Amino acid sequence: MIEEIIIYSTISGGVYALLALGFTLIYGVSGVVNLAHGSFYMLGAYMFYVLGPKVLELPPILAVILAVVFVGVVSSILYRLTIHPVLGDEVGVMVVTVCLALIFQQLMLLVFGPPNVPVAPLIEGSVPIWGVKVTYARILAFAISLVLFASLWIFISKSKIGKAMRAVSQDREVAMLMGINTEKLYMLAMATSSMLAAVAGIFISGSTSGVAGAWIWMYPLALSFSIVILGGLGSIKGSLIGGFIIGYAEQTVIIVAPEGGQIVSVVPFTVMVLVLLLRPKGLFGKRIEMED
Amino acid sequence: MVKSYIRRAYSSFTAHVFDIPPRLMAFLFLLVLLVIPVAGLNPYYLSVMIYANVLAIFAASWDLLVGRTGQISLGHALFFGIGGYSTALLFKFFGLPTWVTIPIALLIGSSVAVLIGFPCLRVKGPYLALVTMAFPIILHSIVKWTTLSHIFEGEYGIRRLPAFFASLPIRQQRIAEYYLTLILFFAAAVIIYKVANSKTGIVFVSILDDELASKACGINVTKYKLMSLIISGLFGTLAGCLQAHLLKVSNPSMFLLTWSFTPIIVTFLGGIGTIYGPLVGAYIYYILDKYFLAIQLPRLCKYFGVTLPGEFEYAKLLIFTLIVLVLVIKWPRGIARFTTDKLEDLEEARDLDERGPRIWKRYERKKK
Repeated sequence: MIEEIIIYSTISGGVYALLALGFTLIYGVSGVVNLAHGSFYMLGAYMFYVLGPKVLELPPILAVILAVVFVGVVSSILYRLTIHPVLGDEVGVMVVTVCLALIFQQLMLLVFGPPNVPVAPLIEGSVPIWGVKVTYARILAFAISLVLFASLWIFISKSKIGKAMRAVSQDREVAMLMGINTEKLYMLAMATSSMLAAVAGIFISGSTSGVAGAWIWMYPLALSFSIVILGGLGSIKGSLIGGFIIGYAEQTVIIVAPEGGQIVSVVPFTVMVLVLLLRPKGLFGKRIEMED
Repeated sequence: MVKSYIRRAYSSFTAHVFDIPPRLMAFLFLLVLLVIPVAGLNPYYLSVMIYANVLAIFAASWDLLVGRTGQISLGHALFFGIGGYSTALLFKFFGLPTWVTIPIALLIGSSVAVLIGFPCLRVKGPYLALVTMAFPIILHSIVKWTTLSHIFEGEYGIRRLPAFFASLPIRQQRIAEYYLTLILFFAAAVIIYKVANSKTGIVFVSILDDELASKACGINVTKYKLMSLIISGLFGTLAGCLQAHLLKVSNPSMFLLTWSFTPIIVTFLGGIGTIYGPLVGAYIYYILDKYFLAIQLPRLCKYFGVTLPGEFEYAKLLIFTLIVLVLVIKWPRGIARFTTDKLEDLEEARDLDERGPRIWKRYERKKK
């Protein structure tokens, strides 16, 4: 039982951290609380279904890349059209992103219908680790999220664009005076954040339930915001640690108390509220800045 | 040339014919609502109006908390569901009549507001929005939990609640329900509007404008935030109780995100920060949703010989959300506020500060 908890929680913690990273990135750079984050997760899964082995029969790797790029392009266009005009108005941004999420939900219902569509895992088969059967798909999801997480961290702390992102998150006006094109940067951050969500969508739905439906956007959104609040909005380190905390809490409840499986969605929020009672700004609450 | 004439004619028309003071407008609005059942409206439309009244109370309570005090809440469904479930549980376990359960439910609702106020009001801005969103989701899972189904009756919810005026025949019952909700709607509107424009309301707006400055003026910010949350929660709970008794059921869907977002959409339709905006917005919402999209559009399509496919149900919410999206981006002032400005002023808002809350300016976005 202990082995199960450790292995499953570590795997889901890593993937959840990836999911939350996108949410925290776009908030840290542009101050947008993107409630459509779960929709990009859903859109990724659906696009993978369309391009993948069942419909268009592209090779899986190509399908993943195309789906993720598609989500990135769509999200940056949507950012420019809808979120940009209301930037700076907190309530307005939230309403707009909620509207986007509902529009995606209804579009998916219109195009694909209410039944779930299958999302195939990239590789089949499983391997026992410490006597616990773990599918290759889960291991792959974990590995990819760690690689992406590490590369994004390096990108933000070392590259020129990453430095520009940090500068904008510290002080937008001064960054503009230094010749940084903030509009482009916001679009880039939005595209990156939604692409991370799409990757998480493809790998999480492929490795766990194996299906995608029009309502799957809610739980990832809830997860990512509880992780992000737990770790502190805008903090990359916080989303990593928060992802693992939530992953451990959730899997422990699922494995220790099977009849509590129905209320597993309560776990992240309870942990979040408890942490907020002690630390109102989360564990590492600040905008993306010096984290090296 | 022609355009300028038209504009001049229009402005003189609006200035001299339609120069109606807001109080008179509110009175006329109420008068129209009062005579509606007498005019012999179809019971379907009457029930639409009943739900519009309930939604108006709910949305106005959200507007007091968010539009006036600036405490962004994305989880107002919490109070809605608390209202529905507490009145239902009191009926189920103690068999109390409706006029006893609703006041007790209101008490429970305000105590919940105090309880969640302690963790919530310590956090600010986006943190607050996301934390408030969490509470209804937690309760949604708990009431759905099969382990507790002997209390909350799981997915189906607590059914067979007593209706209002159950002894009357169905048509008279609808009319009686309509007047009940209308009276409560009017009472709630007056109370919320009076609170928002009282000295306390000015303090609320000062917290929205600048919390630090209000603190520096010696205002106990936490106390006023909590007060706003309690009043808002009270009316949210009232709306939940009414909804439960009108539908005769309280089910877990009362805690769904949909019920958190509906007041937001309604408030933005009407105009945020004006209290009367959501009241009008609720009617616009229901007329758009249940009249134009549900009845007139299929009829129009039939006239042109187009049959609507079964997927139209999904397209309905899609159309609706698109309308709201465009409204929020292009017309952030909302319909009600735009209309009153047009009715009272010529071209630009002449005395924005004098006429209403200063916070209107906050939601003005400059055109580029």
